[in-house]
Amino acid sequence: MKTFTLTLLLFFGTLTLKAQSADLYNLAMQKGLSMIDSAGTSEQFAAAANMFERIAPAAKNQWLPQYYAGYCGMLSAVLGKQTSDIKDALYDKAMNYAEMANALKPCNSDVLALEGYITFMKMAVAPQERAMTMIPKADELLGKAMTLNPANPRPFLVKGQDTFYTPEAFGGGKANAKQFLITATDLFKKSKPTEFEPRWGAKRCQDLLQQCQ
Amino acid sequence: MKKFVCIVLVLLTSDIADGQTKISGTVKTKSGNVISGANITLAKTYNGASADTAGIFSFSTTETGNWMLLYSAIGFKTDSIKISMIGKALIFNLVLKEVTSELNAVTITAGTLETGDNRKGAVLSSLDVVTTAGAVADIVAALQTLPGTSQAYSQNGLFVRGGSAAETRTYFDGMVVKDPFGSQLPDISSRGRFSPFLFKGTTFSSGGYSAQYGQALSSALILESKDLPERSSTEVSLLSVGPGAAHTERFQNSSLTIGGVYYNLKPNYTLVHQNVKWDQFPVEETANIQYKWKPTKNSILKVFSQYSNNEVSLFSNNPDDANLLHVINYNKNIYTNVSYQQFIITNWKIQGGVSYCNTNESGKIGSDDYRRNDHLLQGRFTVTRYFARRSLIRTGVEAYQNSSLEGWNNLTRAYWDNMQATFTEAEVYINEYLVVRIGSRVEHSAYLAQFNLAPRSSFALKTGIHSQVSLAYGFFYQNPDDTYLLQSHQLGYERATHSMLNYQYLANGITFRAEAFYKQYADLTKYNFNGAYKEYGVNNYTGLYNGGHGYAKGLDLFWRDKKSIKGGDYYISYSLLDTKRNFRDYPLQATPPFAEKHTLHVVYKQYIPCLKSEISTAYAFSSGRTYYNPNNPIFLSNQTKSFNNVSFNISYLTRVVKQYAVVYGSVNNLFGFNNIYGYNYSFSGNLREPVLPAARRNILFGLLVTFGDNTFNH
Repeated sequence: MKTFTLTLLLFFGTLTLKAQSADLYNLAMQKGLSMIDSAGTSEQFAAAANMFERIAPAAKNQWLPQYYAGYCGMLSAVLGKQTSDIKDALYDKAMNYAEMANALKPCNSDVLALEGYITFMKMAVAPQERAMTMIPKADELLGKAMTLNPANPRPFLVKGQDTFYTPEAFGGGKANAKQFLITATDLFKKSKPTEFEPRWGAKRCQDLLQQCQ
Repeated sequence: MKKFVCIVLVLLTSDIADGQTKISGTVKTKSGNVISGANITLAKTYNGASADTAGIFSFSTTETGNWMLLYSAIGFKTDSIKISMIGKALIFNLVLKEVTSELNAVTITAGTLETGDNRKGAVLSSLDVVTTAGAVADIVAALQTLPGTSQAYSQNGLFVRGGSAAETRTYFDGMVVKDPFGSQLPDISSRGRFSPFLFKGTTFSSGGYSAQYGQALSSALILESKDLPERSSTEVSLLSVGPGAAHTERFQNSSLTIGGVYYNLKPNYTLVHQNVKWDQFPVEETANIQYKWKPTKNSILKVFSQYSNNEVSLFSNNPDDANLLHVINYNKNIYTNVSYQQFIITNWKIQGGVSYCNTNESGKIGSDDYRRNDHLLQGRFTVTRYFARRSLIRTGVEAYQNSSLEGWNNLTRAYWDNMQATFTEAEVYINEYLVVRIGSRVEHSAYLAQFNLAPRSSFALKTGIHSQVSLAYGFFYQNPDDTYLLQSHQLGYERATHSMLNYQYLANGITFRAEAFYKQYADLTKYNFNGAYKEYGVNNYTGLYNGGHGYAKGLDLFWRDKKSIKGGDYYISYSLLDTKRNFRDYPLQATPPFAEKHTLHVVYKQYIPCLKSEISTAYAFSSGRTYYNPNNPIFLSNQTKSFNNVSFNISYLTRVVKQYAVVYGSVNNLFGFNNIYGYNYSFSGNLREPVLPAARRNILFGLLVTFGDNTFNH
C-alpha cells in the first residue's frame, strides 16, 4: 500500500512536473513575446533576444525560441549603431539561430523569410562588396519562403522592404516595392497566427506602404 | 525513493513558497569596462536576465542547490561559474574575456596585400579590381595601384620592389601559371590571360610569402577561384574592343559555365591616334569552360580550362634601320586546372590538383621566322591539420614537368626539366596576441642537378585592438629564365633573401599600412652579350653564369579611407625604392629601368545617386626611370622625366530589356601627358628613338548585361 501510494504520488508528480515544464515554457514565451511587442530600440530587442536565447537551450525541441532569438538579435543590429564588425557578428549569430530553427522545423516559410531578412541586412553592412553575391542569396531564400507558404505575408513584406531600400538604379525603389507591400498587406488581413507563431510585420508593412504612396 | 518524492513535492510547492533566491551583479571586462547587454542564464532553466547599459543585472529564481551560471555577450568568450543557492541573495562581479574572432585576431600581414570580399583586412574588394580607373578589369593593372609595385610601362607583368617581372609568379588555386600573360610585343604590354570575374580573392605578396609557394624570387600573386555560383545566369558584354558571352547553368550541387570573348582592337585603335604602326590590329579569341561540383558542405571540385589565340602584326621602329621592321606574332595558349579539396575527419583537410599550361608562339621578324613552345605540367598534394585557436600544420609535395623550345628559321633548341618540391610549415597562435609561422621548402631540379632549401618565418604581434606589427624573413629560389636555360645547363638557382617589418592599423573603414623592407639578391644570371638585343624573338648569350647580385630596400605606405566621404572612398599608396643590381650584361651594379625611386597612386571612387553612376579616377606618378645611353660612360645613369597619368572611369547602372546592365566608359591618360618610357639607341649611339606608349590615350567603352539574375525584375 505504501509503495502504491508512493507510486501514485510519483506518477502525479511526474505529470505535474511535465505540466509545469510546459507552463514554464509558455510563461517564458509569453514574456518574451511581450518584450518584443513593447520593444522599439536596439537595446530592447537585444534584451528580448537574450530572453529567447535563454529559452532555446532549455526547450531544446522547440523551434520558436531559436527563431525569435534570431529575429530579435537581427533587429538589435538593424536598429543599433554598432560598428560594422559588431553588426556582422550579430547577424552571424542571428543566422546561426535561424539555421538551428531550420534544423528543428525544416521547410518553414517563416524561418526562410527570416534567413532572407538577415542575409539582406548583412549585405547592407558593406553593400558595395556584398550586393553582388548576397542580394541574389537573400532573394533565393525569400523566393523559397513565398513558394512554401504563399499565404505567409512576411516573405512579401521583407522582399518589399528590401526593394524599398535598394537604389532605383539597381531595380529597387518605392514604385517597385509597392506591389510586394500590397500583397503583404492583403495577406496580413487574412492571416490568423496561432499561439506563439510569428505574427510580426503588419504595422511595419503599413508604415512602408504609406511611404510609398 | 522517499527522498525523490520529497524533492518532487518540494518542486511542486516551490511555486508558491517564498524560496526565491535573488541573483545580481555586474558584467565587466578584465580592465573594468562595462559590458552592456550581456546575457546571464541559469543553465537549463528559463531564469536569467540581461545586463543593462551599466552592466548591471538582477533576477530571482526558485531553484535551489548547485547550478551553473552562464554569461555571454557579443564579441566575448562565453563563460560560466558554479553557484549554489541556499536561500540567500547572491551577488557576482562577472568578468568576460574578449573572444579571438576574425574581427580582432592577429594575422600575418608582412608582405601580404589581400583583395576580395568578406576577407579581413582586404585592401581591395573584387569590385574594386573591376572598377578602378585605368585598370580596365585587368587584375594586374589593379594591383599596380598598390604599394610595392613599380609602373610597368610597356612591359608585361608585375615589377615588385626592384624585381623584374619574371620574379613575380602567378598561382591559380595553388599551382604555378607559367604564362599568365599574352605575348610581349616590342614595347607593348598585353593583358593578363584571366578575367578578374573568375576569382573570389587575390593575395598579392610583395615578399616573405609562405613556404607553399616556390619558384618566385620577389613576389607571389595568388588567385583563388570562385566557388559554386548561386544560380544560373547569362552574361553578355559588348565592348568597343569586341563582344563576349558566358552562360552558367546551376544544377543541384554542381555548375557548368561556358564562355568566350572575341576582341578586335581595330575600331578602338582607329579611333585614337596610335604611336605604333599596326599592320594587323591585335585580335584575341578566348574560350573557357568551368565545372564545379560540391558533393558535401566541406568539399569541392573545380575544373577550369581555357584556350586563347592572339594574333597581331606591326611595324616596329628600329634606330639602326631607316626601314620599319615588320613583326608578326601568333600566340596560342591552353591552360587547364583541376583541383579538389575536402575535410576528412574534422580537423584534417586534403587538397590535390593538377594543372597544365602550353603556349605556342610563332611569327616573323622581318624575313626571319621564330617560334617558341612552353609547357608545364604540375601536380600538387597538400595535407593540413588544424588545431585550436586556428593553428595549423601543413605539408605538401609538388612535381613539375617543364619544357621550353625556341626556334629561329630552321634552327631549334629545347630543354626539359623535372622538378620536385616539398614543403612543411606550421602556423602557431601562441595566444590571442602572437602568431608565428615557420616553414621550409625543398626543391630539386633535374636539369640544374641541384637541391635548394628555403627556410621562411613570419611573426605577428597585436599591439592594440586595431593595430599590429608583423615581421618576416626568408629565403627564396627561382630557376633562371627559360631563355637562359635553353642555352646553358650549367646554371643554378637564383636566390633572394627578404626581410620586412610591417605595421598595420585596421579600424572601421580605415586601413593604414607601413612596411619597410630589405631584399638581397644572389646568383642572378649574368652573360656576355654582343650585338643588338631583340626584346622580342630569339637572342644568343655567351658566358652564362650565376654571378649576379644586388639589393633592394625601401618603404611602402598605404592609406584607405572608406568612411569620411559619403558614398565615396579613396586610397593612396606610395613606394620608396632604392635598388641596384648587377645581372644580365650589366658591367656593374646599377638601378635597372624597371625600378623607379618614387611611385605614387591616388585612387578615388564616388557613387552619384542622381546619375545612377559610379565614377572612379586614378592618378599615377613615378619618378624617372633609368635608360641606357651608349654615349654616357656611366652605365644606366640617364633618367627619363617623371611619369604622370590620370585615368577616369564611369559606370552607369541601368536596365536593358528589363535586365540588369552596366554602361561603362574609361579613359586612360585623360590629360594626355607625354610619357616617355625610355630610349632605344642605334648601335653607333648617334641616333635614338623614344619608347612611347602604344597610344597616348586609351579609350574603352561598352555595355555589360546579366540575364537570368532576376533579382529585381518581377
